[in-house]
Amino acid sequence: MQRRTFLSMATAAALTATVTACGGSSGADAEAGGDTAKVQVWALEDAAVNPIATSSIEAFNAASGRQVQLVTYVNDAYKQKLQVSMGSPQAPDVFFNWGGGNLAQFVEAGQAEPLDDLIAKHPDLSSKFLPSVLEVGQVDGKQYGLPMLGVLPVVLFVNKDVFARAAVEPPATHAELLTVVDALKAKGITPIALAGSQGWTELMWLEYLLDRIGGAGKFQAIVAGQDGAWQDPSVIKSLEEIQNLVKRGAFGSNYASVNYDNQGASKLFATGKAAMHLMGTWDFSLQQTANPKLIKDGKLGYVPFPAYEGGAGDPKAVVGNPSNYYSVTANSTHKDVAEQFLADSLTSDAYINGLIDAGQVPAVKGIEATLKAKPNAEFTTFTYDLVAQAPTFTQSWDQALSPAVSATLLTNLQKVFLDQMAPAEFAAAMAKAK
Amino acid sequence: MTTAAHRARPGFVWAAPAVLYFAALGILPVGGVVYLSFTRWNGLGDPQWIGTANWSALAGDPEIGGSIGRTVLLTVVSWLLQTPLALLIGVWAAGPQRNRAVLSTLFFLPLLLSSAAIALMFVSLLDPNFGLAADFGRYLGAPDGNFLGDPDKALYVIASVIAWQFVPFHTLLYQSATRQIPASLYEAAAIDGATGVRQFFAITLPQLRNTIVASSVLMLVGSLTYFEMILLTTKGGPGTSTRVLPLHMYLKGFDGFEMGYASALAVLLVLVGTLLSVVVVRLTGYHRMASDREGA
Amino acid sequence: MSADLAVRATAKPSPARRARRRRGRNLPAGILSAIWLVIVAVPIYYIVVTGFRSQDAYVEQGPLDLPSNPTLDNFTALFGLGFPTYLGNSLLVTAGTVALVLALALPAAYAIVRNPSRKVKLSFSVFLLGLAVPAQAVIVPIYLIITRLELYDTLRAVILPTAAFSLPIAIVVLTSTLRDIPNELYEAMTVDGADSRRVFRTLVLPLSRPGLVSVGIFVGLNAWNGFLFPLVLTQSDERRVMTLGLWNFQSQFGTNVPGLMAAVVLSTLPVLALYLFGRRHLLSGLAAGFGK
Repeated sequence: MQRRTFLSMATAAALTATVTACGGSSGADAEAGGDTAKVQVWALEDAAVNPIATSSIEAFNAASGRQVQLVTYVNDAYKQKLQVSMGSPQAPDVFFNWGGGNLAQFVEAGQAEPLDDLIAKHPDLSSKFLPSVLEVGQVDGKQYGLPMLGVLPVVLFVNKDVFARAAVEPPATHAELLTVVDALKAKGITPIALAGSQGWTELMWLEYLLDRIGGAGKFQAIVAGQDGAWQDPSVIKSLEEIQNLVKRGAFGSNYASVNYDNQGASKLFATGKAAMHLMGTWDFSLQQTANPKLIKDGKLGYVPFPAYEGGAGDPKAVVGNPSNYYSVTANSTHKDVAEQFLADSLTSDAYINGLIDAGQVPAVKGIEATLKAKPNAEFTTFTYDLVAQAPTFTQSWDQALSPAVSATLLTNLQKVFLDQMAPAEFAAAMAKAK
Repeated sequence: MTTAAHRARPGFVWAAPAVLYFAALGILPVGGVVYLSFTRWNGLGDPQWIGTANWSALAGDPEIGGSIGRTVLLTVVSWLLQTPLALLIGVWAAGPQRNRAVLSTLFFLPLLLSSAAIALMFVSLLDPNFGLAADFGRYLGAPDGNFLGDPDKALYVIASVIAWQFVPFHTLLYQSATRQIPASLYEAAAIDGATGVRQFFAITLPQLRNTIVASSVLMLVGSLTYFEMILLTTKGGPGTSTRVLPLHMYLKGFDGFEMGYASALAVLLVLVGTLLSVVVVRLTGYHRMASDREGA
Repeated sequence: MSADLAVRATAKPSPARRARRRRGRNLPAGILSAIWLVIVAVPIYYIVVTGFRSQDAYVEQGPLDLPSNPTLDNFTALFGLGFPTYLGNSLLVTAGTVALVLALALPAAYAIVRNPSRKVKLSFSVFLLGLAVPAQAVIVPIYLIITRLELYDTLRAVILPTAAFSLPIAIVVLTSTLRDIPNELYEAMTVDGADSRRVFRTLVLPLSRPGLVSVGIFVGLNAWNGFLFPLVLTQSDERRVMTLGLWNFQSQFGTNVPGLMAAVVLSTLPVLALYLFGRRHLLSGLAAGFGK
């Protein structure tokens, strides 16, 4: 999930402060650094995925006679734990990261090793991964990160039952979306479920609209901090379309009270009180546990985000969470082993199949057949095809931007939804945020 | 003064542990915050001295005025909501009937729930489609159950949730204070022909004056700490409709990682808190160290 | 105002003549109390019935329906999720904070009431100024201090600052309690040659009990509710307190509302037990501590 909980932030702040205060030599650090003779791979703690990584490491160790070791941390602690150990003797050799802005910050500090030479030796590494996902592991044209988990794009979920009741089809274009909204409203159905009490759900609408209207380059300009990027006409246009949707009643009148964390939006959608829900593919697993009947009865549909007539963006482009990445630490003393490990395991059948068994959709080419043989094949194949055919995969903005800017972004976007802020004011306020 | 009397006076050493303790964990940190307010620091690396830049940034912060205004509004609304409720229910519950004792046990229940629990409960209850808000919204001016998401209502809803949590405590204060009022007063009033409402205003209310002050002080002192409840319900939203000053400071520091600027806000918060303390102390006469009786 | 004073003048409390018969009917307050009862009871009813619902039923049933197939699964699941640890931690933090605050505040209040020196006066002013200073304003320096003391991620790290920020209100309330011990009592003891240690033990301690009870409750509730200090000053699962645990369940449960409500119910039970056990003490304590 791309939500940045304040718990993780607070813990993170706390952690970094520890190191600032104690010069980075607390007992915990030494322990985590562990045996430096071993090649350390740091990753997030995840009960479903860690065993797969462990078995791939065991296989590598057995074959190579080297000593690679997996060290995991809970989400809350990981990000800053990493940030404070980099550059110290306790730094890992291979580290898990989020790609995009998160990875770029290590690259800027000279802490990540470019992997282009490795890729030249093992062409598999670039040819086997889906290009749009691989791209998020690049900084300034060089590959620093390799995808190591499944893709989580944002898709438009549709409740087929409700669409049948209102005698409409899932929208393929923005104009169709507006027609569908009106038709559903006429039937007394909330057209779109939106957990508007949390800004990150609203952000998905802006991410996709800008992508469709202006193309993926517009957000790249924003990330790069280009002058006037926020004031670009396509940003304004996207915000106007958002306000237009709100005024039309596309999200109902009480969306701002709906909360994602207590199933507010997912339940609204599952019970047929709302017809559509724009959400990351993780919502599928949530519905599977919370509302299994929705999937069992075949009512859960999903489509790509509608195209925008006359928009500059490719309607095949996606936004969301591309993947997580492994990178090699620049001053690792075991660089060769670390790189060999990545080359040997990330694209191995055992690792990929392990991910698929754990319910992930890996960002690897040619796995359609394997996906089809597993549970929920229809949905995983849809997700896979969507990403495989996407020319670009834009990372969730609140992950790609700095914490301070994303905090301001989410607050101001809520105001745009509530009509407390005009699009131009939003653009001006964001241009000032840093 | 005899030597014996002098010896029986406790020396400063009795107060020293508390003073030192508070200095180390209460006053020293305030000094730290003042220092940080002159630095730029994102939590990583060392704080960088930048002079008064954070302080001049205060003036340009679009949320600062609003968040101060909302803090004051929340405090005032909370007081207006809780005091009459707690007073009336407390007086009623002080009655001798057995059922009132049982009922007052029920009244007390919200105080047993932590703020985190209450926040989670109300977020669920106020879900506009599946919570109680859906069923009862139309009686409360929100037919679509839009309470926490309505910028015009959210702060008042928060004030009501806070009241739900704290009215029981203040009710207990009033209940026990009312029980201390001598019956003779009411008997005398009855002889004079004063009944019901007049007795309430002529006897009960004046007799509870000190309790009203004590309970108001606790409300005021607590008002700057409500932020946890807001953090867990609306996180200051929708937009910035419930972003009070303590929350604004917290979000700047721990969501946006602008520790330097957040520290400037924190110093502001400490100043507001100190000012509030001074007002409270003046109003209540808490600064008198000894009993009135001692002087007599 | 003068009427008020007149009433007060004639109204020196005579405990033997407590009101047996309160003013007859008080209809408005009665109605208000009935409404309040509903306002209090409905949310509590909601968390209890929701805690007994299955996930499917949560989606299908109305918020106030009785669960058609009540289940204990939500409660049993909690025991596997570290719930007992969180509860134990919260109780330890609460007890530790209350003990520390009372141990520091009562002697200080005694000195403040009985010692008119400048130094003591000054310290009292410091506490008075600290009355309304919010803890979250100084969270970052507190954090740095705690790590310097190498207490990060211990329960003591939570107790120490929580106690520090409860001290001012504790001292103010205890000071006003001690003020009401008649001067003659102190003098009588001094004549007998008692030193301040004995006065404290035999006079101050017993007579301040009601004040101690109310301060204890107030400080205890604060510590029990504490969220920010545990959040920033602890990290590991073994040191997690109830409030953080509850909040964390939201993600651990994958947005399972019935599970969350079951956790809310369970988290309340220990305090409910304490309350039922000590209700009488509480009422009399509150009257003495805050009613002055």
